Amino acid sequence: MSFREKIHWATLVAMTLAFGWYFLAYPWGIVGSPAGVMATAGLLVPVTIAIIAAMTVATAFLAIRNPREVDTREDERDRNFHMRGTHFAYYPLVVGIWINIFLIFWGIGQAQQLNLMIATLVVAEIVRIGTQLYLYRRGH
Amino acid sequence: MASLPFTNDIRTLRFLSGEMTQGELGDRVGVTRQTIAAIEQGKYSPSLEVAFRIARTFDKSLEAVFQWSDDAD
Repeated sequence: MSFREKIHWATLVAMTLAFGWYFLAYPWGIVGSPAGVMATAGLLVPVTIAIIAAMTVATAFLAIRNPREVDTREDERDRNFHMRGTHFAYYPLVVGIWINIFLIFWGIGQAQQLNLMIATLVVAEIVRIGTQLYLYRRGH
Repeated sequence: MASLPFTNDIRTLRFLSGEMTQGELGDRVGVTRQTIAAIEQGKYSPSLEVAFRIARTFDKSLEAVFQWSDDAD
């Protein structure tokens, strides 16, 4: 497994765990009130710090374990898989945004909109990274 | 996932070129060792440019390195 692929795995695991915790820990009982926005902000801070810390540690650890590959630049296969991952991630992103637009007209609260946008971004990122990992494993 | 409609002789050509490693070929062509491994295994279809670079590394024509499978038509 290449250094780049390992980094993708680390990102996928870090994102899934951090945002999994976010959505489990979120106080859904107050999501309809103004306090729900503050709860979102309050939970996003530790989530962001956790992801940055986890990725820093993972990158340093993997770089020490794979010193020869650290400076390897993306080649055409990496770029191709990245592009295809982004292509597939576009669909959940568009669906999430359209759902959000309709729900805004429906009159949902700010915290609900925020959480829907966060969920949309997380799903799109998981699809993007997951597609890349699938292509690295299965090929084409 | 369907396999590629062509095969290649890169592994053999590497062996005949002084047992060139995948990493060495990758360095000459401008791709990673993993990409050469994926091309050899038929898991990645290289761009025309990389295909030509591989062929030129072995001083062969494109058709001598990559062969279209007859049953893929």
